[in-house]
Amino acid sequence: MTLLSPAERSYLRDSLTASPIIRPDSRTPHQFRPIEAKTSFLSSSNGSARVRLIDGSECIVSVKAKVVDLASVSNLVEVDIDVDSFRDDSNFVTNLKFHILNSLANFPSTVLKLTTKYGYKLFIDVIVTSHSSYPLTLISLATYLALKTARLPKLVSEVNDEEIAEQPTFADDWAESTLIQDLLDAPFQPPVLITLGIIGNNIIFDPSIEEEQIIDNSLVIGFYNGRVITPINTISLSSISNGVNSIVLVKALELGNKYGGMVVKALDTLIEQDIDDENIF
Amino acid sequence: MDITEVISITKPQSSSQYNNIDESNDDSDIEMGESSAGGASAGIVTPGELITEDPIWMKGHGTYFLNDSTYSSVAGSVSRVNRLLSVIPLRGRYSPETGDHIVGRITEVANKRWKVDIGTRQDAVLMLGSVNLPGGILRRKSESDELQMRNFLKEGDLLNCEVQTIFSNGIASLHTRSLKYGKLRNGIFLKVPSSLIVKSKNHAYDLPGSVSVILGSNGYIWLHKTLANTSTTTTVNQNAAKIQGRDYAPGQGSISITRLEEESSWEIYSDQNDPNITSSTRSNISRYYNVIKALAYGELGITEQRVILGYEASLAYSNIGSLIDRESMEQICQEVLNSEKMRG
Repeated sequence: MTLLSPAERSYLRDSLTASPIIRPDSRTPHQFRPIEAKTSFLSSSNGSARVRLIDGSECIVSVKAKVVDLASVSNLVEVDIDVDSFRDDSNFVTNLKFHILNSLANFPSTVLKLTTKYGYKLFIDVIVTSHSSYPLTLISLATYLALKTARLPKLVSEVNDEEIAEQPTFADDWAESTLIQDLLDAPFQPPVLITLGIIGNNIIFDPSIEEEQIIDNSLVIGFYNGRVITPINTISLSSISNGVNSIVLVKALELGNKYGGMVVKALDTLIEQDIDDENIF
Repeated sequence: MDITEVISITKPQSSSQYNNIDESNDDSDIEMGESSAGGASAGIVTPGELITEDPIWMKGHGTYFLNDSTYSSVAGSVSRVNRLLSVIPLRGRYSPETGDHIVGRITEVANKRWKVDIGTRQDAVLMLGSVNLPGGILRRKSESDELQMRNFLKEGDLLNCEVQTIFSNGIASLHTRSLKYGKLRNGIFLKVPSSLIVKSKNHAYDLPGSVSVILGSNGYIWLHKTLANTSTTTTVNQNAAKIQGRDYAPGQGSISITRLEEESSWEIYSDQNDPNITSSTRSNISRYYNVIKALAYGELGITEQRVILGYEASLAYSNIGSLIDRESMEQICQEVLNSEKMRG
């Protein structure tokens, strides 16, 4: 990580605490960096997504489903994160994993049950090939895309195995596979995690690496079903860590409620475009 | 409200779109290739490509020799100087040359020297003897200076300097022995690939909108507020005024010159920014930041003229934040090229 000089720090701090906020790349406070994304590009996994920023930060997520004996597993969703140049047991990776897993706590796991004995277990594998700023938002957006486009094969065997033991068998035709969305009555919306930077009384979305080093504190908020959800965590991205003022916290939640929907909408639009493209061929 | 004002998520661009841009800036690439290859460029080679089977050529940088044939070890343009054959890489780390005006960041304070990150393979060194110290140019470096080196420059500090020499092991030695060099304040830093910086006589420019830029040859760029006037000239003028106001005694002027210089010299190592940077200057700096990023994205060589043309083109965007989108960046590059063509 590059260290900023004291003059740079104070210049950036003055710019970010000013009103209106002037960010180094002149984004508005609630503007994310532009993202390029692609879904369903790994043929060997049930769902996949690739998200990258223009600076080269990139995250690849694959969702794989495996039939397991329900009695032998404790949870049906497992997340594994691999970040370039970080050990798997490092604090950094463990924290990312915790945030993602935590956000998926309300995953509708009933759809994963095939019979009373067997069910799918989802393995969400995340690779961050390169990153400059804290990659949580990137991972979360990619996970959202991968889960939304994940297809599960159609079960052709009996659902009821209470009297006669039944091994689940599946249709050979991939065209008959279904999205998780179609198995649910309600719309399927995995939560999206948004990183907010707090500096003075100002709040910035998606802080860049330079901004990360001078902000007072950062918040991770979940956005689900049209509003901000708990847990709301603070994380420290730099050596500075000041407390969070309650007024700022309320403001952060308001902004989250206001703009979170846009992020979800943009992601959904991309999924639709990708599905349309697939239908052409 | 438009979604793109919050987030823009697009599909990855296809390679054909990208090639279009490349074609349009072909002329600039050739121009750069020629200047760096000394007018003897002969096409582009890729790693492992056979350059010549003739063993009379001497192998230079970026080549390797196998069974009497010379192959390229990097992707770049071939340069032939007399019998010396070398390949100048298109991308890669900056290779310093004596006299380059560069921007660097201190990484380490060592014995009588600072280590400076300038984007080369090995960190450059800045000797204690190669900087201006408070107290004037003629002062000798004492032990107390060695002890308080962190008061001048410490880890993380940015400075602009010049490459003095390259040691035989490839490490660059820097100096800041001029009033135009020294610590950087009042602005922001950005990096572009060093191959995009076109070498010229001058690398520090004043731009429209009271913003100045230092385009370091190593691809490190500093955008800052234009200073009203340099402190040195004011020092001398103030001094002259003082002398005129009083009865002149021999030696008096020179003493006060030294003292004033002593007082002002500490300013060159100050970490304090100018307290009066207006928000319009700040947003202009951000605008230039995005323009330079856009030029780098379009792989255009970065020159003073192009930065200014890009700035003028960017004025069409009232919302500067939209400049970070891919389309806007391509648009800016296109407009810069168009206006260059019109001006000839």
